[in-house]
This record gives sequence, C-alpha cells and structure tokens, in this order.
Amino acid sequence: MSDPAPSTIDRPGQVASATPPAPGRSRRLSDRGLAVAFISPALLLLLAMSVFPLLWALYLSFTDYSATRGGPANFVGFGNYTAILTSAQVHLRALTTVIYVVGAVGLQTVLGFTIAYLISRRTHGRGLLTTLFLVPMMLSPVVVGLFWRFMLDAQFGVVNSMLGSLGLGQVEWLTRQRTALISLIVVDTWQWTPFIMLIALAGLTAVPKYLYEAASIDRASEWFRFRTITLPLVWPLLLIAVLFRAIEAFRLFDLVYILTSGGPGVSTETLSFHVYKVAFLGFNTGTASAYGILMVLVVIVLTQLYLRYLNKLKED
Amino acid sequence: MRYSKRTGRLSVPGRKVRLATAAMLLVTMTTAAACSDGQDDGAKASAPKAPATIPELTKDPLTLSFIWFEWPPAQALEAFANEEYKKERPNATIKVNTVPNANWHDAMFTQFAARKTDFDIAILDSQHIGEAVTNGNILDLTDFVKTNIDVKAYNPYLLAAYGQFPQAETGKRDENASLYGLPLLGDTWTMIYRKDLIGDKPPQTWDEMISAAEKCQADNPGVSGLAFHQANGSDAAAVTYNTVNGVYGGNLWDAKTRKIQGVINDPAGQEAMDVLVNKMKPLTAKGSGNWFIDEVNAAVAQGKACIAFNWIAASGGLLDPKQSTLGTTRNQILDKLGFATLPSQKTNLVPLGGMGMHVSAYSSPANQAEALNFMKWFERADVQKKWAAAGGVPSRTDALESPEFLNAGPFNRVYADSVPRMRDMWNVPEYARLVDIENTNVNAALNGAKKPKEALDDIAKEQQSVLDSSSRKGGGGL
Amino acid sequence: MAVSVNEAVSPGPVRDHPPPARRRSGRGRTVLEVALLTVLAVVMLFPVLWMIETSIKENRDVYAVPAKFFDFKVTLDHYRDVFVASGGGRSTLSVSFLNSVIVAGVSTVLATVLGVPAAWAYSRFAVRAKKDQLFFILSTRFMPPVVVVIPIFLMYRQVGLIDNALGLILIYTAFNVPFTIWMMKGFVDEVPAEYEDAAMLDGYTRLQAFRKFTLPLLVPGIAATAVFALIFSWNEFVFAIFLTSSDDVRTAPPAIAGLIGGTTVDWGLVAASSVVFALPVLVFAYLVRKHLVAGVTLGAVRR
Repeated sequence: MSDPAPSTIDRPGQVASATPPAPGRSRRLSDRGLAVAFISPALLLLLAMSVFPLLWALYLSFTDYSATRGGPANFVGFGNYTAILTSAQVHLRALTTVIYVVGAVGLQTVLGFTIAYLISRRTHGRGLLTTLFLVPMMLSPVVVGLFWRFMLDAQFGVVNSMLGSLGLGQVEWLTRQRTALISLIVVDTWQWTPFIMLIALAGLTAVPKYLYEAASIDRASEWFRFRTITLPLVWPLLLIAVLFRAIEAFRLFDLVYILTSGGPGVSTETLSFHVYKVAFLGFNTGTASAYGILMVLVVIVLTQLYLRYLNKLKED
Repeated sequence: MRYSKRTGRLSVPGRKVRLATAAMLLVTMTTAAACSDGQDDGAKASAPKAPATIPELTKDPLTLSFIWFEWPPAQALEAFANEEYKKERPNATIKVNTVPNANWHDAMFTQFAARKTDFDIAILDSQHIGEAVTNGNILDLTDFVKTNIDVKAYNPYLLAAYGQFPQAETGKRDENASLYGLPLLGDTWTMIYRKDLIGDKPPQTWDEMISAAEKCQADNPGVSGLAFHQANGSDAAAVTYNTVNGVYGGNLWDAKTRKIQGVINDPAGQEAMDVLVNKMKPLTAKGSGNWFIDEVNAAVAQGKACIAFNWIAASGGLLDPKQSTLGTTRNQILDKLGFATLPSQKTNLVPLGGMGMHVSAYSSPANQAEALNFMKWFERADVQKKWAAAGGVPSRTDALESPEFLNAGPFNRVYADSVPRMRDMWNVPEYARLVDIENTNVNAALNGAKKPKEALDDIAKEQQSVLDSSSRKGGGGL
Repeated sequence: MAVSVNEAVSPGPVRDHPPPARRRSGRGRTVLEVALLTVLAVVMLFPVLWMIETSIKENRDVYAVPAKFFDFKVTLDHYRDVFVASGGGRSTLSVSFLNSVIVAGVSTVLATVLGVPAAWAYSRFAVRAKKDQLFFILSTRFMPPVVVVIPIFLMYRQVGLIDNALGLILIYTAFNVPFTIWMMKGFVDEVPAEYEDAAMLDGYTRLQAFRKFTLPLLVPGIAATAVFALIFSWNEFVFAIFLTSSDDVRTAPPAIAGLIGGTTVDWGLVAASSVVFALPVLVFAYLVRKHLVAGVTLGAVRR
C-alpha cells in the first residue's frame, strides 16, 4: 500500500527565488516536470484511496473471504456474482431502489423546477428567497433523518398532530409498507428539491431577454413561449441536475439507516443498505465486494451519461 | 478549456503508462491481499486461552474499558466499578464505552474484524458468543474459571448462558464444555401492568393477559392494551416472537440436527405467530411497529399502555417521577404500576436476556490481566451483593436470594422467579444473520407487509439456508 | 452556455427581468404565484423551525399532543446538555464536535493543498489524455460510500488506521480532491494565461509566475472550494460510523445519531445538537452563496 503522504507535494514557494532569473532554456521540459509534480500527488492519493481499494474489492469479489472469520480467501469464480444476480432478495432491493430513485428524483425535479420558475418571475427578494429555500440541502443527512423521524412519529409527531387538528386520522408514516417508502421519498425530496431549484434557476436566469421580447412581439402564447424558448434552454442543465441526483439517490444509505432502518420488514431496504448488511452483519466480505462492484458498474454507467451530457453542454 | 488542444487523446505512450500503472497496482494488490491472508491464518485457530492464574498486575495507571450499548445499566456499571474496584486497585479506572443498541453487534464485531479493539472487556449478548469464539475474538476462560471462580455458587444455566460454547440446552449446563465468559448482568422480560386499570392481580395465562388488555383498551380511550418490542433492528421483534413461540410450546430449532425448517414453523410456531399478529398487534398503539425499549418505556411512563413487556434492566427509569406522568413520587407510580413474571400458556418459558463479560483477544497483556482480575473480583459474593444493591442483576444464587437484591427494585423478585424458566436463542456463529432474518420478517408480519404464515415460512426457509450455506460456493450472506 | 450563477442567487433585486405575462394577466396571477411561493417556502422551512423550537422546549412539551406551537416555556437546558456532561465537565457530544472540527479542517487543508496545484496544471498544460484523467478523477467521487468502505476497512486494518482520526482525514481528503480539482480548474480557466506568459517574458519562471500573478487572483475561488470541501467532511456519516468506534475519535454525525436507541430518547437534546451542528454549515454556505451551483455539482456546472 502506498502511503499518500502529503509531504511529497512540491511547495511552490520553495523553488521560487526573489529576482527573476534568466529565461530558462528548457522551458518545455520544466513545464512538463511542473505538471507532473503538481498532478501526481493528487493522482497518487486517488490511486491509493480509491483505485487500489476498488481493485482489492474486485479481487475479493471472486473469493469467499470473510473479514471476521479469517482464513484463506478461496477462489469461487463468478459464484458471488451469479448468486447476487439471481437472488430474489437482491431483486427486491433493486426494485425498492428503482422506485425510490425514480420517485424521489422525479418529484424533486418537478417541485424544484416549479419553485425556480416562480422565483425567476419575481423582481424583488429573489436572493433572500433562494437563500431560504437552500437551507435543507446544507443539512447533514443525519440531522435530516433524525428530525423527520421525530416529526413523522405516529403518536406524538407534529405531522400527525397537524393532520389531527384538521380532523384527519393518524397515519403510520414509517411502519407501513407503502407509507414508509413514500416517507423516504418525501424526506429526500424535502432535502434535495433545493438542489434542482438552484440549477434550474441558474438556467432560467440565463435565458436571454431578447428571445422573450421577440416572442411577445409575435404574440406567442405563454405556454408556447415556455415550451419553445424556456424549456429547450434550461433542459440540458436540468438533465445534469437530474443525473447528478440519480447517482446520489442510487447510493443512498444514511437516510434509510436512520429513518426506517429498512423497515417495515425489508420494504425500504435499498441496495446500499443491503450491501451494508451483507458486509457488516454477516461479514460475508467476498459477497459484499461483488455486490459493491456491481453497484459501482451501475454508477459508472450513470456517470458516463452524466459526463456525456456535460460535454455536450460545454460544447454548445 | 483553454489548453485543450486535444494533444493525442489516447496516444500510445498514454496507454502504455496506464497499462503500467494497472500492472503495478495489480502487483501491490496481490501482495497486500497475500499478506492479509497470512495474518488471518495466524488468527484462524479458535479462541486463545487465558492463563489459569492471573498474571502479575501493573502498578501504572491503567484504564480498563468495556463496550456496551447505551442504557442505564452501563452508567450504573461504570459508577459502581469506579467506586468499588478502585478500593482494591487504586491505579485502575473503569470506562464503559457505549454505542446505540442497534449498532451494538456491528460496533463490537467490526472492531474484532479490525483485530484492534478499544475495549478490553466486551459485554456480549449470550448469542454473540458463538461468532466471537469461532472467530477467535475472545479468550477461552476455562482454565481461569477452574482455578479462580466458585462455579457451584451459580445457577448452572446462567453460567452456561453467558459463557459456554457450544450452547447449553435450555436449563442445562455441560460441565465439560469450554467457558468464554462470566455473567455480568442477568435479565429477562417483565410484564408491566397498570394496577389501577386492570386490577392488582396480574393475568396468569397468555389468554387472560390478552383479554385483560382488550378490556382495558376498550374501557380507557387513548390507552392501548399492549406495548412490546416490534422494531426490525437489534433483536427486538425476534425476541418478541421467540417469547410467544416459547409460551405456545414452539421451538426455534432442533440444535442436534441443525434443523429450523419444519421446526420453527410447526403448528405451535404458526399458532404463536397468529397470536402475535392477529391478537396482540391489534391491541398496540398505531405506529408502534418500530418500537423498541425506549418507546415502550415512554408509552408506559406517559400512561398510554395497559400492559407492556420490557427488559427488567431497562425498566428502572419507569419509577423516576421526572420521566413519568403517572405520579410525582416513586410510591405514587408504584401504586399504579405492577411488575410480574410473564404469563404462561402451554409452557412457562421466558426469554433469557442479560450479558456476560468476555475478554478481547486483541487487548494488551496488562489489560487482559487486569480484566481477569476484575472478573474474579466481580464474581465475589460480597461484590455481587453490592452490585445488586447498586441496581445490577447478579447471577450468583446467594446474591439473587439476598435482601439487598430483592429489595432494590420491584422487578427484582420477577427476575429471581424467572430464572428457572429461561430460554435462549441459537448461540451459533451465524447468529447475526439468523436474528436479522427473524427480525425483518416478524416486523414485516406485524406491520402488514407480509402475511403471518408467509413470514414464518420465510424465516424457516431463509434461516435454514444460512445454516446450510457452508457447503455453497459464493453468494454467502444474501 | 451563459448561465450567470452569481446573478441567480445574489441577494437583492437582480436585473430588470419583467415577467412577460404581467401585461396581460395582471395582478391576480402575481398574487397567486406569490401565495404559492409562500406556501412552498413555509413547507420547506417548517422542519427547520420545528427543530429550533423543539430545541428550546421542555421535555414534557416536546411530547405534547396536540403539538404546542407557541405556548411553551422556553429553556436553554438542552443547549447546555450539548456541551456539558450531566455530572459537569465536557460532554461526549462536545468532544465529537471538536473531532469534527479537526477532521473536517485538516482534510480540507490537505485537499486544497493537493487539489489547487493539480487544477492549475490541468488548466495550463497539455497533459496527456487530460480529458480521460479528469473524468477518471470525477468518477472516483461517485463511488457509493458503503461499497468503498469495505476495502478501505480491510486496508486500514492492515495499517492500523481504524478508529483513528488520520484514517478519516485521509478518506475525506480523497473524496474532496476530485471536487477541488474540478471546481478549481474552472476558476483557473478564468484567469487569462497571458498574465503568466507576460511574466515569463519578464524572466520569471513558470512557477514564479503562478505564485506571484495567478495564485493571488485565485484566492476567492480557493476559499469557496475549501468551504464546500469543509461542508462535505463536516456532514459525512457513512465512513465515520464504520471507521470509528470510540468516543475520543468519533465525529459529530455518528455521535448525534447515537442519541437515539437507548432506553429513553431526549428529542430536545437531539434537536439542540442538530442546531449546533447545522449552524456553522449554514453560515459557511451563506458566505459562498455566489458559488453554490458550481459547488453542489462538484464544479461540473458553472457557466
């Protein structure tokens, strides 16, 4: 294992002298040297802390290694992979994760865009409004999870208390199959709608004014303007935001851990949560590694999409 | 992108460099993996042995650390040990690290897996012993116990439950089996009932208990009939089902043939699940499907439950007027709250709770010696009585029968009466997986996510496959 | 794409951007829109307000049904409990806050020291397969933490970094470096390379030119980037809960999560510690509000 010692970095100050020396003959070379010296420490750290562990996990994923039981890691070929891909338990978690990702990201996209649109039409107080709306996004998932758990408590939670004063009955937010997943989606939406809003707002404020002016001369209907001017211009940015959120939502662990710990039964267990159970409850490290590698593959596909759209965006 | 002149993306040297990097990484990876395997081989042998006699103790200041979950007995232990043990060993300080209950198993066993523990004495649940022993995480105390501990002073089953592996059958101890721990805190469920609502006399059978709860709930709007553990974390819902299963004459497994399929879901097991889901669950508060120790306590303290079940060791707070709406003094609360042993039905089994002390194999020799010395001290008759008076639940028979213990709390009599009736879960290395399967499925059944029969059959099937999985190649733990 | 992030979020009236519809549909619609915005704002902010309110309530009011919105007695006991242990002395929570400060602070400094020069180099030089390298760097940031933590756990076990602040610092640094590089590269791109070229004609070396002319211009960008790295490390939970165990090392997020799951839950204390924990983040986020869009997309979206 290479120890990513930060001391290897070249401090710019050490080489520089006070007076400008004669222009160096080997400028090309020194540029290259400089690039290597500046880039390699960061890359080495990433190789040591991201790539190397991942390769290790890749190796373990072909074995039956267990972190607690010790003993040699026996090679099992693709045994772990086939077991995971054919396991009904995994399919169940995959379905839960898909519902969660689609539900949460869909909801926050609609809401986030709506809020951004409404804010973009205001002349006054936009800065203040934006800042206020952004608060949930800055909170730690731990704080968000704990607090919603408190608010959604069926007995003394404030949400049921308010429903009660409206004459509605108690809802078991966290302990019924449907409502628990919905609660998870709602909490995630609460926290991350501001994210979509922020990016959509950036797109909306960038729509050149003259386009609207031209359209209003043409007496185009508002819906027409929205569809033909606003949306096409904001769409690429919005897509970036959606992909970004999808990646994040796919990785979700902490909110489940705190809000429902996967319950009732296993109906809110996401793939991440299941990996945790395999890895740290049963300590089936080999299986968990294979499971993790498969998840990473999904993330890589999503990331590729993300980067492709990003590229397109930058080229426009 | 000012400088992106596309200088030969994927140029040949670039690829070479990357290939070289990949090759280098592979080499490092295999060496690191190989060296990790080497180290694991050393630890593979089962639990290392503790010396028969306590090695010489250090005179330097020393901190003896425990790990437990966050609950009042943890604070009680730290205060008690620092007060009393310091009299014998002035240079020793006791620290009880606590983690959330749901995280307790993971916190201990990730440290065991790391081969480095920040605790010297692990307070393991009886069922964790199998996993810890098989992995070689805790010391084999057999020789130490022979020379230092008077085993006759104990109820043999308690000694077996908190220390023996392989597991003792219910109520029995195998004198030839190895011991890996000594009792720290005994525990079982107590029935907590509202004397002012259902009368002074506690229900004697499970049926009586259910109908009393039914009547009480109907008579007192806003108060629910029952409150018990239903959460899917820790061992919450699993213990609840196991308790009802025992009371209705079921069995969790056949230990000899390692059969769960067809045992836990036999007719008795089915009846127990039916009683739990269809008779008991309807009497609980709405949204109580994720309740565990603290929520049940809160419901009792707020006067929202007629009959509740909780661990005795976690019930002390119920008598604290500051946390209760039932009265402004301890006596006022005791006028309303009664504590009784669990009702019986087809059998009178009660769940075994409590934990033993187990010495971490990764702690330093000086700390291991101190740990052994502490355990020897802790099991002395006079110390056990003091522990009882300080709010602990001892395991020595003389301490259990002492007035110090019986008068310390209204539920202590319940414990003393319950000792001969206890039953534990499976004490096998696969415990964590087994209990998770049972927890999630019982929790699903209680919350309507699965039909009771379906949940029980799933438990049997999945648990059996965990026990049988050693023969399978790959995919363990799914 | 000319997205002006600064204008999107800077406070005060931004620019004359008359809603095109106003002329036709008049006041009624504006009122409706304002009302809708208000409702949405209230929904979004209510949980935060409720958290603050719970943190200053006495415990018996916390559990009151129906919930008490205004008529409760204000107490600051919970805030005291966050910092002071029940027997006097420092509470374990306050120790964890201190650990969070150290871990988040050091990892942010490290990520900045490693990331800024690399970002400059990527921006200025024709590095081989630059795009591939940059994309590789970004993709490491997207790994699911639960997956990464398994091999990291095994690795740390070998070198004794489990339950060690240095272990957390290293992994947070590794997660922040990709972000720092991407975010900073954007800032460096904005500084014309001609400055450096001119300086080099005067006889400065490339390095001196960077240090004397470019670096000072990057300071605001570096500050914004560092703040985002700080927020990430501050809020991180998954690595913290699996890689640390003792009170001396544990950071605040797992410590706060540990407040539930005992025999009683003190929601007032949970709320108070959450407020104390969230406050620095909100202050910092406000300070870098101009760079929020770039910050939350790991520097990927800026203009």
